[in-house]
Amino acid sequence: MGETGNEESARDGLFSFLSRRRFLKVSLAAGGAILGVGGGGLLALRGRAPPVDGLRVLDAHEYRTVQSLVEVMLPKTDAIPIDAASMDLPRAFDAFLADEPEHNVKDFQKALVLIEFGPLVFEHKLTTFSRLAVPDRAAHWQEWAVSDNLLRRQVSMAMRKFFNLVYFDHEQVWPYIGYPGPSMKRLGRVEP
Amino acid sequence: MSGAIIDLSKEAPPAAITTEICVIGSGCGGATAARLLAEAGHEVVVLEEGRDLKGPERTQRDAPMYDQIYMDRGGRASHDLSVTVLQGRVLGGGGVINTCDVVPIPEGVLHHWATKYGLEDFAPQRFKRFHDDALADLSASHIPDSMVNAANNKVRQGAEALGLRGEVMMHNRVGCRGLGTCMLGCPIFAKRNPRMVALPKAIDAGARIFTRARAVKVGKSGEDIKEVTVRTLDPGGYHEQRELKVRAKVVIIAANAIASAQLLLRSGVGNAQVGRNLILQPQLPIIGLFEERIAAFDGIPQSYAVTEFEEEDNAEFGLWGYRIEGIMGTPGIVATLLPFSGVAGMQNMARYDRMAPSLLLAPDAPSGRVQVARDGRLTIHYEQRDDHKKRLRDAVRVASKVYLESGATQVLVPSVPPLIIGSSGPGKLGQRLSFAPATAPLISAHQQGTVRFATSERDGGADLNGQVYGTRDVYVFDSSGFPSSAASHTMTPIIASSRMLTTKLLTRL
Repeated sequence: MGETGNEESARDGLFSFLSRRRFLKVSLAAGGAILGVGGGGLLALRGRAPPVDGLRVLDAHEYRTVQSLVEVMLPKTDAIPIDAASMDLPRAFDAFLADEPEHNVKDFQKALVLIEFGPLVFEHKLTTFSRLAVPDRAAHWQEWAVSDNLLRRQVSMAMRKFFNLVYFDHEQVWPYIGYPGPSMKRLGRVEP
Repeated sequence: MSGAIIDLSKEAPPAAITTEICVIGSGCGGATAARLLAEAGHEVVVLEEGRDLKGPERTQRDAPMYDQIYMDRGGRASHDLSVTVLQGRVLGGGGVINTCDVVPIPEGVLHHWATKYGLEDFAPQRFKRFHDDALADLSASHIPDSMVNAANNKVRQGAEALGLRGEVMMHNRVGCRGLGTCMLGCPIFAKRNPRMVALPKAIDAGARIFTRARAVKVGKSGEDIKEVTVRTLDPGGYHEQRELKVRAKVVIIAANAIASAQLLLRSGVGNAQVGRNLILQPQLPIIGLFEERIAAFDGIPQSYAVTEFEEEDNAEFGLWGYRIEGIMGTPGIVATLLPFSGVAGMQNMARYDRMAPSLLLAPDAPSGRVQVARDGRLTIHYEQRDDHKKRLRDAVRVASKVYLESGATQVLVPSVPPLIIGSSGPGKLGQRLSFAPATAPLISAHQQGTVRFATSERDGGADLNGQVYGTRDVYVFDSSGFPSSAASHTMTPIIASSRMLTTKLLTRL
């Protein structure tokens, strides 16, 4: 009989494709950009993120990256004039991660690093995701979905799945998509 | 003696439990086996990783329901994120999260299994009584025409106008009010089985059912005694808490084709075939977009299928071809399937109430493998074969004609980049629908085949009694054993085969 895995090893998740080896491979294969800038340079490029209270997993930088991402993934539009910032989706993700196995949390954090330094790694621009102007950031993020690089597509798909699920589960959004809400509420108590 | 449901996140478990039979998994296979064995007077313990969600807890909301009733909180996927793998994690298993489609194993498939794989118990005449009993367990009936919802009616209209064969499907609902959220668990428990039939009968006959109980290893404890290592979970099901041992003479694993193989592999039990021959049967969503409001979120979400192109007796594969089935989901799940982000995403979701989606379901040949790393992490390897891609492209061509015939202004294939089909038809699809990993939202709801029933150890992971090769009295009674795709929907095949295997087991106990 073999050994049992460690705690919660039976669970996996959306980011399990992002092994450490793959992450390093992609980062290095993306050119000498990161190496050229160096560790200190990367920190300077990222700058300081405003502090955020009450986070369980994410740090302030990661929170800012997620916030920047949500801003371009779920923008306020004429079709759905809801400001996603009012939902604090990064905090919802923080709460989600707090109940995920450690290896999934690590995978997600790697994905966030890749997103934040995406402009540098994939486009060789001396800036970060959060520092891009919104139109430039939106254009940059669109490239992830259609990229020839499988890892970028995977990160894009995983982010889209999580944030779309949570965002469109919000009651505020439903009037703009023609959804009247859960049928039990509309119909009152329904007995079988 | 009456049994009980015991939630181990709330009640401190004993260090060890001794029983005659331990069933791992409370879905269609496990619940059926537990019921029949308990009714025959045997002492049965059932282990279920999920918990029993009461009516008011079934909120019809995407985020909390995916979190609570799906494995990995709905995030399970194949290794390269090509296929989302939907698997229940709730008392009643897949029978709680499915769309209630009652589809027996076609005769052609039964014949195929009997002749090609030597599974004589599945020969049509021998298997018929188990099918009949399964249909009775399910209170199976045809969905009334009046309950075919708007999205399904669009598929039906188009198919009939084109002269394509189709059918209103059979289901296992009793007292259905068309609440529309079957995939999030029915809040009024209109699904008959397994939660509402087999498990209550098992409890009446004395079975003890432990929820929030994750089986992590099957080992030995003495010559004829198996020992299952169980870890209890917190109330949310996120974190492991305590460990206990369940000792039994017989262990029946029925945790789904992924989890059953995963448990055997983690335990180092079984032969080299365990985990191989995975069938995911991936489905591709496609969406008809209409000018008028469809409101497909109301009513039975899946009720009509175009069956014209489905083969039930393919000489090489058994079930083959493809079918087109109307479907609808709540806003969150629909949004996860769409390929758009940003402004385009918002504009497309604003058409949610004018969408009539369907699923293109093509059976596949075994082409995947479940593996478990040394640290216990699961990997679902799956390579979509070219013939599967081709049949899905064929299905896209037919489905787009069906939708355009029923009045759709556009048809959307939610791949990346999106494929939007207008009145001129889809044109050539090879380049535009490549199915490269993480470009198409393929979904697997019918995993099968990782511990294949076979006449010899060389060809499969379990014998014709479902007994895992290399073990004594460790069995698999779920879709893990199916050597090829059993049917377009696996609830009925799993219940019928579990009935057959349990009936055989009863003669040996």
